[in-house]
Amino acid sequence: MMNNENKIKLFLVDDDALFLKSLEIDFIGSADFDIETFSTGELCIANLSKNPDVIILDYHLDGIEKDAMNGLETLDKIKAFNPETPVIILSSQDKIDVAIECMHHKATDYIVKSETAFIRLKKVISEVLRFNKMEKQLKWYMERM
Amino acid sequence: MKNTLTRDFKYARSLIEASLDPLVAINAEGNIIDANEASIKVTGYLWEELVNTSFSNYFTDPKKAHEAYLQVFHKGLVNNYPLTIKHKNGDLTDVSYNASVYRDDNGNVLGVFAVARDITLQKLALDLKKANEELVSQNKLIEKRANELVIANKELAFQNREKEKRAEELVIANEELAYQNIQKRKQKIVNKKLEAFNHDIKLDSLYSLSLIEASLDPLVTISSKGKIMDMNEALTSITGLTREELTDSDFLDYFTEPQKARNVYEEVFAKGSVADFPLTLRHKNGKLTDVLFNGSIYKDEKENVAGIVIVARDVTEQKRVAKELTEAIIFSEMATIIAEEAKEKAEKDRLIAQDAVKAKQQFLSNMSHEIRTPMNAVIGFTKVLLKTDLTPKQIEYLRAIKLSGDSLILLINDILDLAKVDAGEMVFEQTPFKIALSISAMLHLFETKIQEKNLKMTTTYDERIPDVLLGDPLRLHQIILNLVSNAVKFTSKGEITFNTKLQKEDEHEVIVEFLITDTGIGIADSKIETIFENFKQASSETSRLYGGTGLGLAIVKKLVELQRGSIQVISKINEGTTFRFILPFQKTKANPEVEMELEEYDKVISNVNVLVVEDIKLNQLLMRTLLDDFGFDCDIAANGRIAIDKMQTKAYDLVLMDLQMPEMNGFETTAYIRNIMNSDIPIIALTADVTTVDLAKCKAVGMNDYITKPIDERLLYSKMLVFIKKADEVSESDVKLLNDSVNIKCTNLQNLNTRTKSNQVLMKEMISLYLEQTPILISTMKQSLIERDWKVLQATVHKMIPSFSIVGIHSDYENIAKKIQEFASNKLQTEDITDLVIQLEKVCNQACLELLEELDTYKNTNDE
Repeated sequence: MMNNENKIKLFLVDDDALFLKSLEIDFIGSADFDIETFSTGELCIANLSKNPDVIILDYHLDGIEKDAMNGLETLDKIKAFNPETPVIILSSQDKIDVAIECMHHKATDYIVKSETAFIRLKKVISEVLRFNKMEKQLKWYMERM
Repeated sequence: MKNTLTRDFKYARSLIEASLDPLVAINAEGNIIDANEASIKVTGYLWEELVNTSFSNYFTDPKKAHEAYLQVFHKGLVNNYPLTIKHKNGDLTDVSYNASVYRDDNGNVLGVFAVARDITLQKLALDLKKANEELVSQNKLIEKRANELVIANKELAFQNREKEKRAEELVIANEELAYQNIQKRKQKIVNKKLEAFNHDIKLDSLYSLSLIEASLDPLVTISSKGKIMDMNEALTSITGLTREELTDSDFLDYFTEPQKARNVYEEVFAKGSVADFPLTLRHKNGKLTDVLFNGSIYKDEKENVAGIVIVARDVTEQKRVAKELTEAIIFSEMATIIAEEAKEKAEKDRLIAQDAVKAKQQFLSNMSHEIRTPMNAVIGFTKVLLKTDLTPKQIEYLRAIKLSGDSLILLINDILDLAKVDAGEMVFEQTPFKIALSISAMLHLFETKIQEKNLKMTTTYDERIPDVLLGDPLRLHQIILNLVSNAVKFTSKGEITFNTKLQKEDEHEVIVEFLITDTGIGIADSKIETIFENFKQASSETSRLYGGTGLGLAIVKKLVELQRGSIQVISKINEGTTFRFILPFQKTKANPEVEMELEEYDKVISNVNVLVVEDIKLNQLLMRTLLDDFGFDCDIAANGRIAIDKMQTKAYDLVLMDLQMPEMNGFETTAYIRNIMNSDIPIIALTADVTTVDLAKCKAVGMNDYITKPIDERLLYSKMLVFIKKADEVSESDVKLLNDSVNIKCTNLQNLNTRTKSNQVLMKEMISLYLEQTPILISTMKQSLIERDWKVLQATVHKMIPSFSIVGIHSDYENIAKKIQEFASNKLQTEDITDLVIQLEKVCNQACLELLEELDTYKNTNDE
């Protein structure tokens, strides 16, 4: 568990159990991650206090459960809880307007579910974390000023 | 008168003589004149001896006796005068003398008469008395002493008590003393503390002084007239002047802008203080220091302003940090830009790489197609031509053409296979097949060649090998084909033996060993290592002499190893070579696929109508020629649409269907025939691209079998016969059986296996999840289609999309799903959508069945 300090805490949120599992397997395989999976946005929100480093969120959370919170609502709630938390939206739709909408809701990135989704996710996560680190450094300098 | 006198005398005399006390009469000169008897007795001298002798001579103390005598004369008498008479023999007698003078009648003193009373007894009594008295007195004394002692005791007791009391008092006094000592000590400590405290205070002030001195910020006090009164070390170092020089000088002189400094200075007086006013101090050597000027007034006891205290903070360091920060910000911005650029570049590179891979695949695919199509015709027509009347020379040339064509096709297939292996796309089927039959059919193909070369072929088959095994018969063929054709190629005389042996068998699996031995040229020891490498033959000589691409063995090795097998070679030059490979096969109880039993040529079947769907003219002609040869009637359709038209006007026994065609391709056409026309007519696909994916698609859309181009006429014939014969004995059950036998798998777990790193637990979890989720999605999808609930349909299909790639269902189905999604979101109710939904349902149901089976095998393996 000691290593958990250095691991990236990752929330995976998707109501598609199969895809969720496959994503989890992919991430477990790369070992740098401490993963928690949630099948609904509500569950994800309820666990935000665990301070995830990155959240990967399915766009279509209300696909089958009509009353479920959808991806964008969940995204808004996450951002309300902590605007710093990077959220990457996953969707099986490769649609520009969906992507733009997600960006408007302050999503960090938008990735289409496909075979390469995992590779892209990993890349985006490392980019995001690197960017955050840079920002922190900047902030630190600002404070010293 | 005398007589009387004489008598009187006599009498007196007797009296004197009778007296026991010594009596003496002494004359004036002190000589004895008379003495009585007692005196003679006491002295021991005779009377005659005594008379006229000095009285004094008879006493122990003559002088005292004399004195007594004189005293008597002088006083007239003496009483009880103690003297001690000394006897002649030395005895002593204490006496008490009483004497008186005796006078004549005239009263003249004649002498002294002295009586000495022996007082020895008297003296003893006296002594006793005295002793008694002494005793009494002594007793008294003792008594007194005792009394005194009692008193003394009492006194002592008293004194003891007093002493005790005293002692107690002393104890108390001691305690008191001790207490006082403590107090004293305490007092000392307090004193010491006080001293220390005083010392501390001194130190403190020293400390604050040294602090002020140590401060890096210049501190200075200025009088109301602007003169420096006191300063710390920092000011001297920042100005480069000594304390003496600074004292009483004008403070404002040390700033680069004295006027500005003065304003600030005046502001301090006006407002009482000023904070962080930026100014610049000048060192005497000209060096400038940026400072923040902080000042406040201070007052004396009478609350009069006495001057100001100024702290000038050196902000050089801060300015430097600020500058550095600015630089850091710029740097990080640049870094971000660079990172951004790098990201873009990486993305671009990735796309390029992706494109490159795609291009490579596309190129290979195109090349194979573009080369194979014309080669198909070349080889086909060569074969046709060979059947006509020809001169021996012509036959020889035509055979050369055919041989070259065959080897070219082989090369292309090899390259494609290798490319597939390299790209990790080589996929192995797991279909039930009859291994013995499969092998004998394979070897059958070599019979002609072996006869031609006048060789012998011996085959032994291990009967213990189960009839039906699960595996990839096509790849097994490929392996055996390569090895046997090598054996035939490199052997000019002797025999070729083919052995199979059951090496190991357990509940789920068998391991079969294959041995191919020839008596050919053999391989040099030095080359054995390299023969399995790409484009390597035992020697460059061999390729010239025997031809071949040098890819065959490389492919064989990869095919064997990818199926968890292994291959070895033993060879001796000029004696022969043995290739040995082992392959594992899963056991199965499933029914094998319909075997391609090679029917005999001479069976003539007439009245067979075949529809050939093929767009390329050359191929059309070739097919027509071949079918004519078989004695079948045939119609040609250039694409699917025409084929459907033809089928609606005429009944056919069988369809040979090319896959790549304009207007309507083979898959679409077949789907239409099966789903719309509801026809069970046998359809054999003609394909140039032997990828498993294509085969899977063929089966999925409902084709019965496939044959690869260039077409082996015997294979085509036998395959066609199978279906025609079946069709002859048309019965519902048969058709059903055929459909069931179409069980090329639609799922492929290779990717999932790679992703989970062959972790069976994860695999099982994934499969279970799929099996759990998919049936619900299928029923929701169907229901929503019936209810025309496009939104639900769209969402459901949407949900299904990621699962296709996970369980390895062909991307065509993913595209079908996407199409449905699109139709649904546009609310387009078309015929197509129902059709597409049915296709999706079909493939998903099949996937579920396959995965259920897969799950069982995992469970079985885990039970072991």
